[in-house]
Amino acid sequence: MNISSAADSLPIHDVVKGTFASLVLGGSGPIVVEFMSYGCSHCRTLEPVIERVAEGLRSRETFYRVNVGMDRELADRYGITGTPTFVMFSDAREVGRVVGPRPEASSLSRAVTQPFER
Amino acid sequence: MTLTQKQNPSPGRRVLLFDGDCAVCRTIAAWVIRASTPQPGGSTLIVRPIGHDPQALRALNLSLDIWDAYATIHLVMPDGSMKLGGEAVAEVFRNLPSTRWFAWIFAVRVSGHRPFQAVLDFAYTILADVRPLLGCESCGSKNPYVTKAKGFVDFFTAPRVPGGHHSRRSS
Repeated sequence: MNISSAADSLPIHDVVKGTFASLVLGGSGPIVVEFMSYGCSHCRTLEPVIERVAEGLRSRETFYRVNVGMDRELADRYGITGTPTFVMFSDAREVGRVVGPRPEASSLSRAVTQPFER
Repeated sequence: MTLTQKQNPSPGRRVLLFDGDCAVCRTIAAWVIRASTPQPGGSTLIVRPIGHDPQALRALNLSLDIWDAYATIHLVMPDGSMKLGGEAVAEVFRNLPSTRWFAWIFAVRVSGHRPFQAVLDFAYTILADVRPLLGCESCGSKNPYVTKAKGFVDFFTAPRVPGGHHSRRSS
């Protein structure tokens, strides 16, 4: 397995300022973006839960991750004041967000799917 | 030379990593830098923030995980090995001219145990946990007892707004 196919097999993809417009705003279907930071202990607690949820929802939703330490501008643009914050996009439009969800697969799964069901 | 030895870009130097988004960590790092600067023959310590790029951190040492680096203080040794937590603090003390006179105590063994190192480990754990109280914007309040303590401190230190939740009632 080469590096690019290994990256493709991951349930969550990294997105940066330069690729945000094409991948998130130009992407199709429900898109979930996690704004996180490596210094945030809650982000670390959530990490395995997010991976499990993203893997389970892979066929329905696309998950991206923004490292706010590297992309302050993106965080400012979307008014991120704390990590982790999940912002849900559909057709380039924000349809919902959740800040600091509980580290439980069921509640996180509900939080990132409900905005798309309205 | 082992693989890990090749990874330390500053051979002969110890690299101390700190959380650059944490005020109390920055204060401690600044003190270490000041204390290590006047060493004859140059400092054996390099102090640098962890940063936000996991790949850049791995360039320092392949086994360095950025989540771990933020969770516990890391000191990358000249041979590429790493000391963590209280062990890292003891090693820093051993390398500073102003503290090395007492740092030998952390190596003292009593019945196979190192009691002073154990005290230092405990002190480090407490300090790491109470960082949110001392001014750590990035690390959050991860432990319930710290959250309760922070609420207690905030009650007495928050600005008093008439009619607000923290306003004191006049008797």
